[in-house]
Amino acid sequence: MIETMFMLFLKYRGLFLEGVKYTLLLAFITVGIGTVIGTLLALCKMCRIKPISFLASVYIEVLRGTPLLLQLYLFYFLVPQILPWEPSKFTCVSTALVLNSSAYVSEIIRAGIQAVDLGQMEAARSLGLSTAQAMRKVVLPQATRNILPALGNEFVTDIKETSLASTFFLGDLMTTYRTINGALYLTLEPLIIVGIIYFILTFSLSKLIAYSEWRMAAND
Amino acid sequence: MIRVENLTKNFGKLQVLKGVTEEIRQKEVVSIIGASGSGKSTFLRCLNMLETPTGGKIYFHNVDLTDKKVDINVHRQKMGMVFQHFNVFPNMSVRENITMAPTLLNKKTAAEAERLSEELLRRIGLWDKRNVRPTKLSGGQKQRLAIVRALAMEPEVMLFDEPTSALDPEMVGEVLVVIKELVETGMTTVIVTHEMGFAREVSDRILFMDDGVIAESGSPDQIFYNPQNERTKDFLSKVL
Repeated sequence: MIETMFMLFLKYRGLFLEGVKYTLLLAFITVGIGTVIGTLLALCKMCRIKPISFLASVYIEVLRGTPLLLQLYLFYFLVPQILPWEPSKFTCVSTALVLNSSAYVSEIIRAGIQAVDLGQMEAARSLGLSTAQAMRKVVLPQATRNILPALGNEFVTDIKETSLASTFFLGDLMTTYRTINGALYLTLEPLIIVGIIYFILTFSLSKLIAYSEWRMAAND
Repeated sequence: MIRVENLTKNFGKLQVLKGVTEEIRQKEVVSIIGASGSGKSTFLRCLNMLETPTGGKIYFHNVDLTDKKVDINVHRQKMGMVFQHFNVFPNMSVRENITMAPTLLNKKTAAEAERLSEELLRRIGLWDKRNVRPTKLSGGQKQRLAIVRALAMEPEVMLFDEPTSALDPEMVGEVLVVIKELVETGMTTVIVTHEMGFAREVSDRILFMDDGVIAESGSPDQIFYNPQNERTKDFLSKVL
């Protein structure tokens, strides 16, 4: 079996590499855009205007409270009906992944901001800074230190979750498995190879995050 | 300079300030004393609107700060504040703690702010620490930094909220020296403090707060040696 795995890997390494590329691309888009939307969401949720914070809460709770697979299906069929042009599969699936991730990221960011001592905001305001200036100069830079490691972990989670995109044959690593499985009727071998690749990706990223966290702490 | 009229503040059902009327004059040094929970910190924090009053008015140079149309940020630039827990900015160097606000708010050019920060840091003996993060400083050093950070905005009045309460005893002196030097330059100052000896020494006037009102107000000699109010007598007998 190990022999078969080696042969498989060598023969289809281009396909596996392609899968890794798509998986990382999807995860990157998910966390990247998810962070932008998540930041806005977090600010909305902390907003003093009640309807805004309420709507943000509803959005976050619904997206965290329903299965990602369901959301993938939903957006897969919903997005083409909403957009005036014919969106690609990739657009539909990444929309679902981004929106789902934005809900989780917003909670990471909110927790990171709220972990900053309230006195920091007060001190900045007492100097005459506006809330926005105090946020930008004092609170957010400190919150970033709390947020970055958690965001890295979200990236690791998303690498794994993008495997659901293979439901729609999107070209990610799990799709590679399905391709090989379909072509050769081999089940275990390609599955184990893909598993090992996933593990290498997530494990090395986790270690990298832990290292940078340690570096940040040492810099202090 | 600051006129307070019938100020009230509720936290939920709890009324912390029950109608305070007071005036702080130019160059006056006023210490506020009283037991914990008497409302003295809340009163001080209302002066620059860090707490939003429930009722009453606060006039700073005859501008009503409780008016929602007033841009409070402009007025806060003229009211420096020092906190019990220092609240220095750990994400900036010691020097940037001082230069950030004046440059960001266009009160000073970068070069002017640099010069001012050097002068201020030399004054408090922290010039050689200018490039380190404040996390590396002792409590006393942090509080001295917090004081000059406020001074860098060249305020017209300084508000101190229990500036030595969170300090180890051996560091109280170094902070009080800085405040005393500041008071001697003629800075209008309001201090909430438990340091009775210090209050007696530097103040023009003492306010004794009790249960959300100013129960007694007078010169240090009057308050400490000849208090009229029973509550004042009772409080002083416990702390002196």
